[in-house]
Amino acid sequence: MLLIYGKSGIYKRIRSPLSWRIGASRGFKNNDGLLGYRGKDLVKGLAEKDPRWLFDSAADAMFIAGPDGRLLFANRAFETLFGYATEELSGLSVESLIPPRFRQTHLTQRAQYAEHPASRVMGAGIELYGLRKDGSEFAADVSLSPLEDGLVLTAVHDITRRKRAEEALAEQSARLRAIVDTAVDAIITIDERGMIDSFNPAAERLFGYTPAEVQGKNVSLLMPAPYHEEHDGYLQHYRDTGEKRIIGIGREVVAQRKDGTTFPIELAVSEMRVGGRRLFTGLVHDITQRKQAEARQEKLIRELEGANEELKNFAYVVSHDLKAPLRAIGSLADWLVADQAAKLDDEGREYLRLITQRVRRLDGLIDGILQYSRVGRIRETLAEVDLNQLLREVIDLLAPPAHIAITVAGALPTIKTEKTRIQQVFQNLLSNAIKYLDKPQGEIRVDCTDAGEDWEFSVRDNGPGIEVRHHKRIFQLFQTLAPRDKVESTGVGLALVKKIVEMYGGRIWLESKPGEGSTFFFTLPKGVAITIGES
Amino acid sequence: MKTTCKSIMLVEDDQVDTMTVRRALKELHVTNPLQHLENGEEALSYLRNPANPQPCLILLDLNMPIMGGIEFLQIAKKDEALKGIPVVVLTTSEEQEDKVESFQLGVAGYMRKPVDYPNFVEMIRTIDAYWTISELPQ
Repeated sequence: MLLIYGKSGIYKRIRSPLSWRIGASRGFKNNDGLLGYRGKDLVKGLAEKDPRWLFDSAADAMFIAGPDGRLLFANRAFETLFGYATEELSGLSVESLIPPRFRQTHLTQRAQYAEHPASRVMGAGIELYGLRKDGSEFAADVSLSPLEDGLVLTAVHDITRRKRAEEALAEQSARLRAIVDTAVDAIITIDERGMIDSFNPAAERLFGYTPAEVQGKNVSLLMPAPYHEEHDGYLQHYRDTGEKRIIGIGREVVAQRKDGTTFPIELAVSEMRVGGRRLFTGLVHDITQRKQAEARQEKLIRELEGANEELKNFAYVVSHDLKAPLRAIGSLADWLVADQAAKLDDEGREYLRLITQRVRRLDGLIDGILQYSRVGRIRETLAEVDLNQLLREVIDLLAPPAHIAITVAGALPTIKTEKTRIQQVFQNLLSNAIKYLDKPQGEIRVDCTDAGEDWEFSVRDNGPGIEVRHHKRIFQLFQTLAPRDKVESTGVGLALVKKIVEMYGGRIWLESKPGEGSTFFFTLPKGVAITIGES
Repeated sequence: MKTTCKSIMLVEDDQVDTMTVRRALKELHVTNPLQHLENGEEALSYLRNPANPQPCLILLDLNMPIMGGIEFLQIAKKDEALKGIPVVVLTTSEEQEDKVESFQLGVAGYMRKPVDYPNFVEMIRTIDAYWTISELPQ
């Protein structure tokens, strides 16, 4: 049961299948224009069917408040949005629906509104907040429609989601702006005609212009000649033909600062369309340091190449120019002995003998240097080398004296390698073993074991042995342990062996007991041929 | 050396090396006259002078001033009148590229100068023996 009273003050009694949410005793003052119903029609309509369904089906919260600011009516959406139960709505004030901090102002505003009531549509630009029963707030758009007798119909639209979206958008754009502003690289946008549109702080630092100085100016002012003159033509060409030279590609060019100095940059240009405008974004990376490093590196490489070339020439010069005078000395000494023998005494002849001997020694040293320098410098073609065959050849060549027996244990592998080099390794190790053997029955044994990824070879002798303190020294160039006048040795052999073994990625070492003999070990990776072949 | 052979040409800049060759030839009783030139350029102008008799063998050093042995070979072996004269390289160089290049340019032999004289004599003896047996183009 509901009482409706209009201007005339006539009460209508309405029987309704739906119950009003605000107490029936408070009634509903009709203003004849509400929802397009004429007073009579409304009454009639209400009589036929409660119009509440119209309100209740609205998505937005709606309520009608009286001049005293108390709610007279509210729909279902209102209850849902503000969190009140139907029975709690009675006597609820409008101010209780807004956060306390706005209440005082709202009272004033409401008073003013009562004096000059006017329709206010949603989204009029004022930020409003609603307060739920549970004390939580939400952003809202509010529209007001004045009814008669100081009644006001208020619709409240929850804009939390829109608000969030707006905030997210604002945050995103702030973030993007921050990226541009804090970027290490200069970011410059230009329009289709080449006029500068934006200029980030890094661009400011890099070029020495402030954004204000360059905005709207032709971007070619950041380029030295001839780019400066060519840029307009280039842009024109791109507009006309769509042919890209730098857009989307990026390249190294030269840029010019405000003070006229130039510096190398890496420029990447991308094209974009914003709001129907075509813009180009240039990403400018200063590569001065990289260029300097590159130049330094190039210089180093050139120097290194020079040094390498010199070394190569050195070996060549050594073989030619040092040997010629050496040979002359040798020959002249020889002729002195042959031609002037009668004039020389024993001492003189001894001196000449020593000269000849030193000449041979120096000749051997020079040969050693040449041999040593050739390892790694001159590449031989790789071949399958049967080490059994190779060892036989080496032993034949060395022709060990009768009291020395060389045995080769088991079957040696066939490896793909440079034959000369591997031959040098065995030849030097075996000739050393033979040369220094001091026992009446010399025994030398060559062995090979499979050590997983490597072959491990060993050459064992029963010679004088080498003290541990010399184990490092003997692998150094020109280092010998016996005086040269006793055993002619250049001191190149083991250095050469070490260089070859290490070039192949192997290791070399020895175990020895002074007086009893030595065993030289070296490894060769099984996959060695491949790595060497590729290098 | 064949007695029909008129002379041997030695292209060598080193005085002692020249003495060595002369001495060795003398020791081996090689009677063919020795024509000594100091570098490739001198040798070429000598060979191209019609007044001079053509040698039957050229002993050629590689490392010489003005014009080295390889350059001499590059020119002489393109010269119809000279390319038939056998050339034996006498050098200190053990460089592989020198050997390869020399043989590609058609040398008849490549000898490393031994560091001591007796070996040098042996080398000259071998050369002499070979060119005594070997026929020569006329």
